[in-house]
Amino acid sequence: MADYKEAPLSTRPRTLDPNDYFNLSPEKRRADEERAALRANLKRQYQLQLNNPLRNQPIDDPALSRWVFARANPYSHFRPTFKTSLLGFAFGVFPLFALYFIFKTDRERKEELIKSGKWDRRLCLSN
Amino acid sequence: MAGVGFRRWAQALTKSKGTGISGLLSGCRAASTPPKGSLPGPFPTTPEERAAAAKKYNIRVEDYEPYPDHGEGFGDYPKLPDRSQHERDPWYKWDHPDLRRNWGEPMHWDFDMYIRNRVDTSPSPVAWHSMCKQLFGFIGFMLFMFFLGEKFPSYQPVGPKQYPYNNLYLERGGDPEKAPEEVKNYEI
Repeated sequence: MADYKEAPLSTRPRTLDPNDYFNLSPEKRRADEERAALRANLKRQYQLQLNNPLRNQPIDDPALSRWVFARANPYSHFRPTFKTSLLGFAFGVFPLFALYFIFKTDRERKEELIKSGKWDRRLCLSN
Repeated sequence: MAGVGFRRWAQALTKSKGTGISGLLSGCRAASTPPKGSLPGPFPTTPEERAAAAKKYNIRVEDYEPYPDHGEGFGDYPKLPDRSQHERDPWYKWDHPDLRRNWGEPMHWDFDMYIRNRVDTSPSPVAWHSMCKQLFGFIGFMLFMFFLGEKFPSYQPVGPKQYPYNNLYLERGGDPEKAPEEVKNYEI
């Protein structure tokens, strides 16, 4: 398993991750403890609200609200740069004109074939 | 619920310090909007802004990494590792077990893509190159064989169909008065 290579865009199994086995430094331990402390604090807040007998409202999740707000309001932090303008053009403007031209030429070509009698439509129900 | 709200409002009215309208107004406060600094904001530039944003999102200051500011509209939202919810421990007691997420945990920007019904980034049981070789090898082989079958068809020998009654002379509109020419489709 020494030559295990993870798939592109995928992750390494935790059992093959050397960082998990060999990294025993105090910094990593301290970082893990801080993360655990944050997580425990959130768990505590949730459990207090969950088991509160006087609660009569659903518990709202501020992380969820932030996520929804961030996803719904990207325009307030939008800035026209080269990259964003290129993307906007590629997805918004270019397909419009490209599809118009493609459909127009295809239909005109077919119309020409039908008018000149070269398109065999004897067994075709949809045209 | 409305009864409770009305009672609370009346209590607040009687306890408030102001008189008249100002008492009415200050007594009841809508708690439905989030507190002031808790929604996502613009990209953090100074270290203090970074620390404040990390605290807001419940992330360690060292772990907090906003998306690079290319004007794409992310603001100060943190860039979390691109891991699917499939990879999370199925045996840990999550607060929301189907989403494998705890309450208050910062959500990935593409969280709705990484749920367990959708994209899966967990390691595959077979190596990627092996899977590719198997799939494309099979498809390529089948395509090649079908191509050969088109090029070199192989079937039982056939001839044109032979019809009785002098090649169906009457059915094909032949004159009943006239005698048809004899057609023999066999050889003895």
